[in-house]
Amino acid sequence: MEQRQLGKHVVQYSGAYSFCAGCNSCEAICGLVHDGVVSPSYNRLFIERGGTRDMVCHLKSCQQCLDHPCYEACPKKDVAMCVDENGITYVNEEYCVGCGACQRACVYEPARINLSAAHKKKERKSKKCDLCRTRKNGPACVEYCPVRCLGVSTEPEGQVTDPKLDVAAKKLSVFTGNLGDKTPELAADSAN
Amino acid sequence: MPNKTIDEVLNNPENKDKLYGYVGQILRLNLTTKTSEIVSTYKYVPKYLGGRELCNKIFYDEVPPGTDPFDPENKLIYMTGATTATGIPTGGRTEMTGIAANNLPSQYSFSGIGGWIGAEFKFAGYDGIIIEGAADSPTYIKIDDESVEFLSAEDEWGLKVHDTQRALNDKHGYDFKCMVIGPAGENLCRNASITTSNDNVMAKSGFGAVFGSKKLKAIICRGTGVVPVANIEKLLELRLKMGDPYMRVSPLQPQTVQGLPGGEAEGNWVRGNISCSHGCNQHCNCLMMGTKSVFADEDINHVEKCVSPVAYGFMNDIPNTINANWMTEQNHMQPCKLLSREFSEPDPTDPYFEEMTAPILPDIFNFWKPDFDKGNMINELCNEYGLDKWDVLIWLLPWLAMGQKEGVFDDIDFGMPVDVESSEFVAHILESIAYRKGKYGDILAEGMARAIRTLGKEKFGETNYSGRFSQILGKPLDLPISMETAWGHSFHWQGRGFEATITKPTWLATTIELMTSSRDMQTVEHHHDKYENHIKAVVAPYDSQVLVDSIIMNENKGEMKDSVTCCEWQSPDIYWSSMEAEMYEAATGYPMTEAELNQSAERSKLIYRAILIRNFERSRKMEVEAVWPGISIPDPWGEVADWDGFNRLVDRYYDTRGWDRETAWPYRETWQRAGLDFIADDMEKIGKLPTK
Repeated sequence: MEQRQLGKHVVQYSGAYSFCAGCNSCEAICGLVHDGVVSPSYNRLFIERGGTRDMVCHLKSCQQCLDHPCYEACPKKDVAMCVDENGITYVNEEYCVGCGACQRACVYEPARINLSAAHKKKERKSKKCDLCRTRKNGPACVEYCPVRCLGVSTEPEGQVTDPKLDVAAKKLSVFTGNLGDKTPELAADSAN
Repeated sequence: MPNKTIDEVLNNPENKDKLYGYVGQILRLNLTTKTSEIVSTYKYVPKYLGGRELCNKIFYDEVPPGTDPFDPENKLIYMTGATTATGIPTGGRTEMTGIAANNLPSQYSFSGIGGWIGAEFKFAGYDGIIIEGAADSPTYIKIDDESVEFLSAEDEWGLKVHDTQRALNDKHGYDFKCMVIGPAGENLCRNASITTSNDNVMAKSGFGAVFGSKKLKAIICRGTGVVPVANIEKLLELRLKMGDPYMRVSPLQPQTVQGLPGGEAEGNWVRGNISCSHGCNQHCNCLMMGTKSVFADEDINHVEKCVSPVAYGFMNDIPNTINANWMTEQNHMQPCKLLSREFSEPDPTDPYFEEMTAPILPDIFNFWKPDFDKGNMINELCNEYGLDKWDVLIWLLPWLAMGQKEGVFDDIDFGMPVDVESSEFVAHILESIAYRKGKYGDILAEGMARAIRTLGKEKFGETNYSGRFSQILGKPLDLPISMETAWGHSFHWQGRGFEATITKPTWLATTIELMTSSRDMQTVEHHHDKYENHIKAVVAPYDSQVLVDSIIMNENKGEMKDSVTCCEWQSPDIYWSSMEAEMYEAATGYPMTEAELNQSAERSKLIYRAILIRNFERSRKMEVEAVWPGISIPDPWGEVADWDGFNRLVDRYYDTRGWDRETAWPYRETWQRAGLDFIADDMEKIGKLPTK
């Protein structure tokens, strides 16, 4: 995949700093703070689980591409899919018709935009990470990650305050390569 | 009606209490007719909370006396809780009940499991499933929201656990979650387990063999619907408060040893702390990364929890301290912190600190020496065959070790010389059991309790092992070569055998808890209470009302934990007794006080009791005789139970429960107090309603 210009987005830290416990709390909290439900159709970021002999989890989140193909593909651009003053591309669900064009336009595999499943077509809405742009404490998934393995890309990875942990992280750097090899996005420490 | 919106769940006309948390449907799956039907959850909730209480109610209603574990009429009932898939920590735990394959005698029992499949069932629109009948050929069930299919498992039958998971995911996609059995379940090994993601296993009760008897290889599920939550603000508060303190980084840790203290094996691996179930805020499971596989030339990761370290070397029992069970506000923590190694610093200013934390030295056993590769092999074989590790590590292998040293196997040909230090022998014996190979593989596949009776209990069960040495007394103590306790299970925190390092009030408590159960009482395994109650109970434990109240509190917390649902590694929190009620109310919006939830837990215990009495002839004689042999073995201090004293404690327990002393059957007012008048009527009809 070509190197894309990315905006501020949610990232997963390397296992040397903090290893994802695979608890799904980020997915659950995402649906709860946005829609009041837990559902795989509503979370705006995804945990991809390793196989039965691996079991290492990888975060799949919207990368906030600066050329925002999802926004460009939206038939109701600037109404249903918008870009705010901070460059965050977000969905205005009131006007979203759930056509799925943004999901199809996402350059990542799997697509980082969810489409809420519903028997009634008019209730289908695109669900896309907006970094909890109106939330005082920022992304709720980051705030409620029990192991602090999530952060935002503009912050230095793992702001280590405990020197013992810093030493442990350095000793463990040998293992981060094993994790990073799994997905191209994860290779550069936190760029997923 | 999966794929519902939140309004569709709440406006279901049957949801008269406007309950959140539940999704409203239970899926009945009949393997004989290959049909399914929907049962409304609201027929049962909120009175029968969910989880195990709801399983108990359905089993009581639907399964008559005279049913055996492998009869098609036996039903496996699997339930989530109102908290499952809500994001409330520990709610991902779920329960299965039915007539157990490995109990002796056969009885109704239960087993818990984590993983992601419970949440997936709810996303598909189901609070639980009822599995009934039996297929005539290998089958798996595919649930994809409202679509339910019974499919041929001819291609998967014979595959090991992880190969089965992989084959089904390759066929249907990795967003399907699954529960599967391995060869042990297919071959009706009575201690066969059922496995879901992350090596989460329901191992107790041998339900894997019941799956096998129904020719059911797997259930896979994918859901896209919603689980509504009543009070999100409260939920977020619970996430921060439960299991406090948490929210700290959890780096991968290189390790150079694995195993119990005194039996650590040297070996290089990497430890990752992971969660066992959906939405939990703890990570008490250990992902062992980069170990060598038995079956392929590759390194693998596998998940291990409390009993697995035994595989790496079993020289001693586990050291312990009193405050693992009896704690103060200054010094208490949840067991999940112990497993994830994130316990808080002890507070030495506690006035009871020294006596609470004085080490209780474990007995020396010398069962097998540390061996890292062999330990990995044993755990992987159990994981892949689908065998209960507890049975293998705490009963089968120690029995072979002790029996070999005492010469009881001299006339038996297991196909190889008995040697638990040998990887080849251990692999041979586990394969023989999982595939029922040879005369003795077939006998041992019946489970240890039955196998020992087939071989001859006096010689193969009761021969004394001369190698037990009490470090507390500085001298040898008796231990039979078979570490059997009650109901076809082996010792577990009962003051002798494995995890014996607990005080007399504690093992009396766990023995009574085991006595009224039908399996290893793991669900309330680490009896918890305040240290001030230990001080009172230790004076005269056989005559202690404080101890009886403590037992009942722990039993009720066990029922509650399995019904809300939450996890025994966080519940109970002795200094936050309303935690479970707060969890339930946050999920459902249904007002629930601690007292009301406790009453519901008592109701669950009583329905369980009704099943044991009506279907399985449970009585005082049966209960006391089941547990007595175990506590007749000396504890690490050399003490055995006193017959008269123990019976006085049993009297006091039954009195407090409102059960008749002579029969151990509840009185009419006890059933009525729990809102179970219909059971009182049923008991009267079959002559099992005692009068005062």
